[in-house]
Amino acid sequence: MPKMITEQNLRALIDLLVKEGSRVVGPKAAGTMTLYEPLAAGEELVLTELPRRSAKEAFFPLCETILTYAKGEEGVQVNDIDPARFPETVLVAVRPCDAAAPGILDAVFSWDYDDQFYQERRKKTAIIGLACTKADDACFCTAVGLSPAETQGSDLFLTPLSGGGFRVEAVTEKGEKLLARYSQLFGEAGSAQPLPPAEPGGEKLELARIKAWLDANFESPLWQEIADRCAGCGACAFLCPACHCFDINDEGTEAKGARRKSWDACGFAKFTNHASGHNPRDAQNKRYRNRLMHKFKYYDDKFGKHLCTGCGRCVRACPVGIDIKAVLDEINSK
Amino acid sequence: MCDHSKNIYKPYLATIAELRDETSDIRSLRLVFQDEEVREKFTFRAGQFAEYSAFGAGESTFCIASSPTRQGYIECCFRAVGRVTDALRSLEVGDTVGVRGPYGNSFPIEEFYGKNLVFVAGGIALPPLRTVIWNCLDLRDKFGDITIVYGARTEADLVYKHELAEWEARSDVRLVKTVDPGGNGPTWDGKVGFVPTVLEEAAPAAANTVALVCGPPIMIKFTLPVLEKLGFADDAIYTTLENRMKCGLGKCGRCNVGNVYVCKDGPVFTARQVKAMPQEF
Amino acid sequence: MTNTAQKLDTIPLVDSGYWSSVTEAIRTEAERLLSSGEVTAVIGYRAGRRSGTALPAIATSPEQARELVFSPGCVNNLALYLTKAKKDVAKKGKVAIVAKGCDLKALAGLMGESQLKREELVIIGVACAGVYGASADRSLPLSEETIARKCRECTVHAPEGVDLTAGSVPALPQLSPEEAEELARLEAMTPRERWAFWTEHFSRCVRCMACRQVCPFCYCEQCYCDRNRPQGVETSPRPAGNTAWHIVRGMHLAGRCAGCAECERACPMDIPLNLLNRKMAQELKELYGHEAGIAPKEKGPLAEYREDDDQSFIK
Repeated sequence: MPKMITEQNLRALIDLLVKEGSRVVGPKAAGTMTLYEPLAAGEELVLTELPRRSAKEAFFPLCETILTYAKGEEGVQVNDIDPARFPETVLVAVRPCDAAAPGILDAVFSWDYDDQFYQERRKKTAIIGLACTKADDACFCTAVGLSPAETQGSDLFLTPLSGGGFRVEAVTEKGEKLLARYSQLFGEAGSAQPLPPAEPGGEKLELARIKAWLDANFESPLWQEIADRCAGCGACAFLCPACHCFDINDEGTEAKGARRKSWDACGFAKFTNHASGHNPRDAQNKRYRNRLMHKFKYYDDKFGKHLCTGCGRCVRACPVGIDIKAVLDEINSK
Repeated sequence: MCDHSKNIYKPYLATIAELRDETSDIRSLRLVFQDEEVREKFTFRAGQFAEYSAFGAGESTFCIASSPTRQGYIECCFRAVGRVTDALRSLEVGDTVGVRGPYGNSFPIEEFYGKNLVFVAGGIALPPLRTVIWNCLDLRDKFGDITIVYGARTEADLVYKHELAEWEARSDVRLVKTVDPGGNGPTWDGKVGFVPTVLEEAAPAAANTVALVCGPPIMIKFTLPVLEKLGFADDAIYTTLENRMKCGLGKCGRCNVGNVYVCKDGPVFTARQVKAMPQEF
Repeated sequence: MTNTAQKLDTIPLVDSGYWSSVTEAIRTEAERLLSSGEVTAVIGYRAGRRSGTALPAIATSPEQARELVFSPGCVNNLALYLTKAKKDVAKKGKVAIVAKGCDLKALAGLMGESQLKREELVIIGVACAGVYGASADRSLPLSEETIARKCRECTVHAPEGVDLTAGSVPALPQLSPEEAEELARLEAMTPRERWAFWTEHFSRCVRCMACRQVCPFCYCEQCYCDRNRPQGVETSPRPAGNTAWHIVRGMHLAGRCAGCAECERACPMDIPLNLLNRKMAQELKELYGHEAGIAPKEKGPLAEYREDDDQSFIK
């Protein structure tokens, strides 16, 4: 029998998880916006808005310390970060476009070298997905092969019911376990009808066709047309659930400090600048091209996936109105 | 070599055993790992690179400039041009640096057995070839003729000057050294001219020969057609792409040339491979 | 996904005929300029894919000129495209630019800094009623609810010193000066409270540099904050570097900022950066009687020395 959970019990589940010592991360009001942030109580959960930043930071934080160092009498001491200290985490009310991202990023964070910072968090995190019943005109998940009701990527998946509460679906073993462990909070779904999923508008995209065009069009006037407008900031990359470029820097003094990994963006002018001053991507057209190519060609060539879930954040955030969906529509029609 | 079940970003500690100023701003370091086990187990192949850190300043990417045939230490060579390299240059013998690696692919030295070798390098790009040069010289009887064409802007900009003298003195190596026009002093006994031109004049035979090229992009650009003219096939020309890197592990996303991650798929490529890449390096 | 509550009783500030008349005037002039060869490009706006949006457009043919629009979605300060930072646009030849009053101040500032020459530029000024705020529901008309904060206090609805004014300024109601009020609230705070206010905002900064990249005055080829030799500002998105960056940004723009508030609009983390700019502007006005205006000034207040400058800070 399908299960359901009331909104009240969903909040109670969060309270319970928090009480048991889990870290619960979910959409939470943060000033003028909603962000995925640690929840102290179920009542903090915001169910009506897509968080401004994606959920990738639950695995790949904006900035994290990867080691600390100190210079003493006996030379330099390097202190490791113990991944065992990463807490068991439940990511709750994650939209399908965000829930799909870790499955895409696993490939790059694990080929040959396991990034334990990412991997350990991934292992310790359960994702409770939430179907979307509303979309805005920037949403385009359906155009890139996902959907507002996509369960892939979630361990447990919630679909809002017309009479309130959520239908609950265990997608993975992790989800089954959550369901079994907190069975007292779940009831029988009975005949309650799920709300219809959201219907993001816009043209469908043929990603294979787009890829074929990218394969053949490293040189194209399109890149300059976009670059004429592109301001070269990192807003698109930083809000994206799939962008994963990062920088590594030491901060502190010579005597004591930390080495940190923080988000970076291929749109930045100095991103590829060599020590010699030579810069392989020395103009914005090359940088925008790399952004699009990486998402829909290079990553596909390498790992068989594309770096886009159609969340629309870059579309909403771009200060100069660059709309990746419009760019893809244009390529799709070529 | 690094223990990858652990923190892949954590470097080994190494002590500066020797340092040498190659030019006014280029320095070589000889590094000895502090941990005895690492010292014994650390192996690498010619062409691989590492991430070197000056704690408090950060990490920089350089090739391992010493030969894998010389064990117990590794060497690197860098120009002080930024925060990290300035900090590395300010360190003294006995000071500690961090080393992560070795990373990337390498020159297929075994495939060169029985062949003649031509090394073509410009400026600070000699170190990536120097590792191969010594590797081959240490196994001298496995190779045919060895020619080294090396140039820099001025005499002062030549690195490993003492080794150039050593190679020049050897009868089993042909060294052609050059400086750009105007870069020669009164006692200069080498050629005057740009590397591609001097290479063309030196005209090493292409038959049964492998060419290894490393230099600034502009030098590579003009050297490849010369090699082609001399009869070298694209598969017989090797180079190493020194793109900007941060992680060295195929994650951070900045060294790519098209879908090629230089840090993992390279840095060593044949001219055929380079030509197949999008021209963005 | 954003669920702005629909306000059905919203009263439009201007009737829709205003927008179409400005649009038509821009198109006609742009078409004329391009067909006569007077300019090789017109920097303006065209409609975006999403309803209510507009984006910067560079029209290089009369056909493209017909696509230019003016709508409440025309939020960008196009002066950005005339700076060194956007060299590719300048390469197109002599250009015309569509400018709202606030954008004109930026053009004047750039002229004052010798970045632009008036005679090399055709300016199509817009008689501007205002544009959308960053969080506006763009399915609604421009209204007291959807208008940008900066527009509530606009003093340059009618452009001056332009080659042509597109449209005429409609009758506009007086709107409450929200930003001035908020600045006053901040001023009334104790330093500790104010520090808490900014600390919270800066804690969300992701260092995407959108504030810098859209600023017409951030045209330095090498930003001080990108330098690492020596490093002035930590690059990690953490409190120390974030705070340092925003202070450096505010200080470097003091006396240069034209008040277009693009930094604030571009910020994906909703940091009210224009409050910093406003505060600096206020200081500059008090100390040197300087105000960003439509007429280019040869030297900014911090780039010149006058005998009667306030020196009380020298202790």
